[in-house]
Amino acid sequence: MSGGTISNQIRTLRFLAGEMSQAELGQKIGVTRQTIAAIEAGKYSPTLEAAFRIAEVFGKPLDEVFQWRSGG
Amino acid sequence: MTHREKLAWMTLLLIAATYGPYFVHVAVSPPAPGEMPNLPQLWLLALAAGGNGVLHILGRIGLRIAAPEDARAPADERDRDIERRSTQVAYYVMMTGMILVAMVMPFTTSGWQIVNAGLLAIVISEITQNGLAAWGYRRSAA
Repeated sequence: MSGGTISNQIRTLRFLAGEMSQAELGQKIGVTRQTIAAIEAGKYSPTLEAAFRIAEVFGKPLDEVFQWRSGG
Repeated sequence: MTHREKLAWMTLLLIAATYGPYFVHVAVSPPAPGEMPNLPQLWLLALAAGGNGVLHILGRIGLRIAAPEDARAPADERDRDIERRSTQVAYYVMMTGMILVAMVMPFTTSGWQIVNAGLLAIVISEITQNGLAAWGYRRSAA
């Protein structure tokens, strides 16, 4: 299996959603503020369910929130 | 820092503060072989285990008072992931320790050496679990 990284646009989307806080987003999808911070920083990969929930909060398709960058 | 990360660090500190001195004492002046039940040794063990239990309860109460909302929050997916990984490794540490203590040591030793080795295996497995949990939280902290 080749390596790769998951990047995301959560910080931008939070800003566009009226500077929604990490705690607010966490509350909406049922995780802690620290977990949102870890996802946003790319240090924790969320489950598929949490990823869909985040996308749903911002009203965006999954691939506009998370992107896969293949490591080659 | 999440409530569960604080708990992991607190557990590590309490192990160092209670079982640390106990095992240092056992290493420096091991209990005399064959002397059972050896009440002073039993008293020391009760002090370490009881002290750890009482301090743990007080620590949990302190953390709950300091941040009640964090303490009430259910474990989320990252908490469960970290717990699963750390518990899995700690399980193998505990199994290895118990095999040594229960299946190997009885052929070579007895009494307090077995008791202390059993306790050490439990403590090392707790250190492994909480250490890996604390490391897991630090590693994925933003």
